Order: sequence, then structure tokens, then C-alpha cells
Amino acid sequence: MNNFHGIIFAYSAAPELRELVGARTAASLPFCGRYRLIDFALSSMRNAGILDVGIIMQRDYQSLLDHIGSGKAWDMSRRSGGLRMLPPFGLPEYHTGNYTGTIEALNAVSTYIRDIPQKYLVLLLGNMCANIDLVPVMRQHRRSGAEITAICADHTPAQSHHRYVLGEDGLVKQILFDRNDEWEGLPALEGYIINKDTLLKMMDECKARNQYSFHKHAVAAFLAEGGKMCAYVHPGYAVAIRTVEAYYQASMDMLKTEYRRQMFPADRPVRTKAHEEVSTYYGERAVSRNSLVADNCKIEGSIENCIIFSGARIEKGAKLRNCIIMRGGIVGENAELDCVIADKYCSFSSGTVLKGNAKLPTVVPKGVSI
Amino acid sequence: MKKNCIAMLLAGGQGSRLYALTQKVAKPSVPFGGKYRIIDFPLSNCANSGIDTVGVLTQYRPLQLNSYIGNGQPWDLDVTDGGVYILPPYQSAGEKGSWFSGTANAIYQNISFIESYNPENVLILSGDHIYKMDYSDMLREHVEKEAACTISVLQVSMEEATRFGIMNLGEDGYVEQFEEKPKQPKSDLASMGIYIFNWKKLREYLIADENDPKSSKDFGKNIIPKMLSAGEKLWPYRFKGYWRDVGTITSLWDANMDMLSPDLINLYDPAWPISSRSPVCPPHYAGEESEIIHSIVTEGCEVDGHVENSVLSPNVIIGRGATVNYSVLMPGAVVESGAIVEYAIVGENTVVRSGAHVGALPDGTDAWGVATCGPDIEIRSGAAVPAGAMIYTGEEV
Repeated sequence: MNNFHGIIFAYSAAPELRELVGARTAASLPFCGRYRLIDFALSSMRNAGILDVGIIMQRDYQSLLDHIGSGKAWDMSRRSGGLRMLPPFGLPEYHTGNYTGTIEALNAVSTYIRDIPQKYLVLLLGNMCANIDLVPVMRQHRRSGAEITAICADHTPAQSHHRYVLGEDGLVKQILFDRNDEWEGLPALEGYIINKDTLLKMMDECKARNQYSFHKHAVAAFLAEGGKMCAYVHPGYAVAIRTVEAYYQASMDMLKTEYRRQMFPADRPVRTKAHEEVSTYYGERAVSRNSLVADNCKIEGSIENCIIFSGARIEKGAKLRNCIIMRGGIVGENAELDCVIADKYCSFSSGTVLKGNAKLPTVVPKGVSI
Repeated sequence: MKKNCIAMLLAGGQGSRLYALTQKVAKPSVPFGGKYRIIDFPLSNCANSGIDTVGVLTQYRPLQLNSYIGNGQPWDLDVTDGGVYILPPYQSAGEKGSWFSGTANAIYQNISFIESYNPENVLILSGDHIYKMDYSDMLREHVEKEAACTISVLQVSMEEATRFGIMNLGEDGYVEQFEEKPKQPKSDLASMGIYIFNWKKLREYLIADENDPKSSKDFGKNIIPKMLSAGEKLWPYRFKGYWRDVGTITSLWDANMDMLSPDLINLYDPAWPISSRSPVCPPHYAGEESEIIHSIVTEGCEVDGHVENSVLSPNVIIGRGATVNYSVLMPGAVVESGAIVEYAIVGENTVVRSGAHVGALPDGTDAWGVATCGPDIEIRSGAAVPAGAMIYTGEEV
């Protein structure tokens, strides 16, 4: 048995994703033509041989359940162990709203955590857009003897909300909050490897003190008490998706070959639910420039800097620039769209003109016809 | 548990007329139509027709086929009490064991597999046809007509009829005569090589045929004529729709080109999906200078050049300034910048270096043909592969 057990946080509602999280959590947000954000965390774990994984969720998780199914796509449908979906089953009596923090979310499934047979836990965010190679992190964690290893970025992702400052011995000595400055500390990717005993102690202490935050309370207290914590720097693309702007920017980043190579390396594939699909057909007058197109589309019009999900139809004379068209979108003849994010199954009738702005893309909610 | 009908898929043939494409793999696992391999069609048809037990008879180069089929999960054939089984030739105690010596012999050697399901009927399929067919409809007719054997037939033109096994019918509508490639055909109903047999009957004929030293142990040549002369009821099931034998380079290329016209065969039909075991790859990328016209493209491709009238399989890379026209690119094929590929089939993971030229436009002569490069070949920079050429793996070009 692999001595690592995965936990993915998929409860985040991320209200700044607005219409995009109308009926889903950030973790199940469709991304890059055929994926959901949680595919990255699941695939990172699968590619590191971690097949026992719990997914913590709270509400609006129908789309997540539908996507993940038995976990087969990630080889996590196992006879023993494998994938477990973890809706709340130990909420404190006073609880009414959303989980206020990671520790509260963990405490809500504390019986599951306590029963984990493995020694180490790998914690990842379900809405982190990053293909993290966990193998070197696991190796470093075991060798360093640290109780916690924090996965950090080698650059400052947009909205990085806290950073770790290392001492001369290479250990983490301080956590800084709400800092975007480039010059101090390593930006955290909110992914950790942590000894199970250490996490349980944190959960118990926070519960006793009525605290909920992993970073503000648990990690800060751990460091203050002189706990041994290391940092690991993930060398590739990484950004947490919490706002429409971040989602749009990360999507457009995937048009850059360099980022695509980091996110979709051949030896660490990103796995996702398989759909029954056929190839995409390009018509006699199709124009395609710098775009990512999934299967089962019909492209008769023109696309430039676009992400087109499966099942989309772009009719003759339609002109799309800088758009994200999710599954089943239909863009009618001679329609013109610019900087539009169309959620699943939207349709735009012939001649429709809709323009957003790269800083403020227009979001069309799921199933809307214009 | 007793089964009404199980399928036996003949996938052991070499497919020698596909030359370089079947040098290392069996014909049924040759890539087709971008996302598929040929065997996806009969396997999907089985699953869609409610036939959940399929024996796949393999013999020639089965490794890739075995791993491709696996447990049958992509076709929903990973079921308990049934499923998909790979059936290679095997040895029994006291016997020498032998290769399958013909289509009928292949089934004969697997009588005990079929018996273990105790089926009423057995569907015999071949692994080299592209079509969508509801076998349950054929089975219904087979039962209604109380036939010993039902043969799926397709109406062809009288010219084409000389290339097929032709069924001549009696007044009652049952098959009266079977002629293999008749010079002067009396009917235009061609056998598609798809049979449903009453298992008890077939079993008798297989055993008798096995003991006939003159028999070539073939369904079309031996079993069907013997049943006819014994006066068994043979019913023709008339199939309407798209059906292509892809046993030759030209027919394989033609059928691939057909995939560009969804009105010929609609693979978009959610009620009749053709499934495949697809690799996991990101959506395809159409680059800044790409031009993709009247073509199909699938996941993992990176297109920076000009692609027209072509079929691109997963993970194909077309470099900047490269031209691909009327061609079939199999998974992982690479056409580097400035190379030209026209009227060609490029095998899996074959690389066409920049400046190379594969294939040529039709010139109206008989010598012209589709140029074919097998898998894992490097076509060197500046090399020219002429029309109709056949490049084998291991050759230096």
C-alpha cells in the first residue's frame, strides 16, 4: 500500500465566479475544452500512484458527482480503498452556512480522516489549475522528516493570498497573509503533504478553540510552536480559480504552447471522464487561428483565440474572437462574439452581436438562448 | 446461463492486402476514421444490438488487438456472465494443436467456448467492415423465418456483383444458390460475410466439414454450399445503409474519405454510438497560421499548417507551412514544416521530415495510387515517396 492518502477540497463556492458557479462548485468548472478543474488534482494524485482519495464537498455537488462517477477515469474505482465522496456528516450544531475554512471542512468529515490507514495525507485544492508532479514532493516529505510540506509556486499567481518565508536552514519560519509582493517568501499553492497525526492534532485544537482556518489558525499556531515545515517549489503553471477574470485568463493561457506543455505533459496525462465523441469537422470555409477545439464540434465559421468545448456548432459566417464556448454551444450564422464565456448549451441566433472585454468578459449562463 | 445469441468475431486474418499497415498488427486494429480502429465497428454494433458475449478469434499479430480490447469496457462489454473474450488457437491434452486453418475451422476449434454459453444462435462477424447494423433486427428475422442460417446481404450494382459472393434467391425468398465472384451474376445481392446460424445446426456442419479432407474450412466456400445442398433454409437479410470492406489500401483510403461526409455514415448518432478506446489527450490546437478545410481533426492534434480533405487521428502534428491534402494520418503521425503529403496514408508515429514529399495528385494513369507509409517510419528531409508507393517499417527513405 502506498503510504499517502489524498484529500481534495471541492466545497469552495467562490462567489466571484458569479454565474459560472450557479449550479456547481469551482472544482467542477469546465476547463480547456473537455476537463473540469478537479481533473488536475485527481490526475496529479493518480499519476503519483495515490488511489485512495477523499473529496470534501458541501453543496451544489450534483455536477461534481456526475463528473466523477465511480472514479474509474482516474483508476480510483477500487475493491478496497479508492475514491470516496465526502459530503458533510459531522457538522457542528451551530453550523448553518458554507464551510468557513478548511479546518471546519475537515472536522465535518473527521471520522473519515481518523480512519485513514495511511501515514501521510496529500491535500490539494479542487479548483487549482496546475498539473503538479507529486512524486518529488512525496520523496522530499519523507526524507526531510518534516511534519508538513507546503507546495509553493515559482512565480506569483494572480491572487496568491499567502506566502511562506524560509529560514536559513531551509525550513518555513513564517507565514505571511494577503501579500502579492514579489520579493518576500514563496507563494503558497494551498497544496500540502502533512502527517496524519499532525493534521488530527490541528483539527482537534482548532475545534477546541472554535477556530476554522487552516492557514490563519492551524498553520500559524504550528509554526509558532516551532513545528517542522518544509516548502516544495512546483516548477510549472499554477493558478487557483476563484474569479471570472482568473478563469478567463487561465483559459486563454492554455492557448500558449509553453503553458500547455506544462499542463498536459505526455508522461503525466490529465485524465477526465470519457465521453462518446466523434472527431471535429471543419467545413469548406472554416477559419481557425490560435484556438483549442475539443471533439464532436462542427466549425463552419471563423474562430480566433477561442476555447471550444465538445459538441459546439459554429455556423457559417460566424466570427468568434477571444471566446470560451462550453459544451453544446451553438453560434448561428454571421453572429459575432468577442470576449464571451458561454456556459454549457447556450445558443446565439443568427446575426447576434455580443462583445465583452478581456478584463470583464461577458458571461452567458448555462442554457441561455440569445 | 443460456444465451439467445452470442457473437464470434473473426479477427485472425493478416489482411495482407493492407501490406505495410498490417506488417505489425492485425487488420482489425488498423486505425480508421480519426478516432477508431476497424474492430470498433463490429464491437459497437454488438453492444448496441444487445449482444453482450463476444468471442474475438485472434491469430495473426494479436498483441495490439489484445491490449486494445482489454476487458471491453469502452464498448460496455465488461459485464458479468458474458463480455468480450480473446480466443487464440490453443492446444488440448494429447493433441498437437494447430493454427486456425480457415474461418469455419476457427469456430470449430472454439466449440467448447460457444457451448459454455449454450446459445440458440451464433452470430459470425468479420473484423474488416465499416458499417452500423442492428444485429437484433437480423436475429428477429432469422427466428421468424426459422432459418438454419441467415446471411446479411447488400444490394450492389451488377458490375460490382462480379467481385462478391452472390446469393440467388428462390421464389419463396430463401437462398437457392450461392456463387462466389460469378462472371455472369444472376442477382445483385452480395453477401456481407455476416451470418447468424442456429447453433445446433452449425455445430453439426462444422464437425462434418472438419472431417472432410477436401474442405478448405471456410464459411463461404464450404459451410454455406453444404447447407444449401442439404436443403437447409437459408434466409437473406437485406441490409440497407453504409457498408464498406476496407481490406485494400484503396478501399481503406476511400472509406476514410467518406468520414468527411456525415450523410454517408452518421457517427454523430447518440442512439448508435461507435465507441473506441481513446487515449487521454487535450483538445486539438489550431495554430496561428493553420488552415483546416473540409477535414476531421481530433484530440491531441497540433495543426500549424494547411490541412484539406483529410482525416487526422489523435496526436497528429502538422508543422508550419506543411501541406496535407486528401490524406489519412494515423495516430501520432508527424508532418514537419514545409513537407507535402497528398493522396496518402501515413502510419502511426511515422515522421515526414521537412521538405519531404509523400504521394502525388492523380494523373489519370493506371499506375497512380494512394501512397502508403507504414508505422514508425522516418521519411527523410527532401525524400520523395511517389504515388502508389508502399513503404514498410524498417525501410530507409
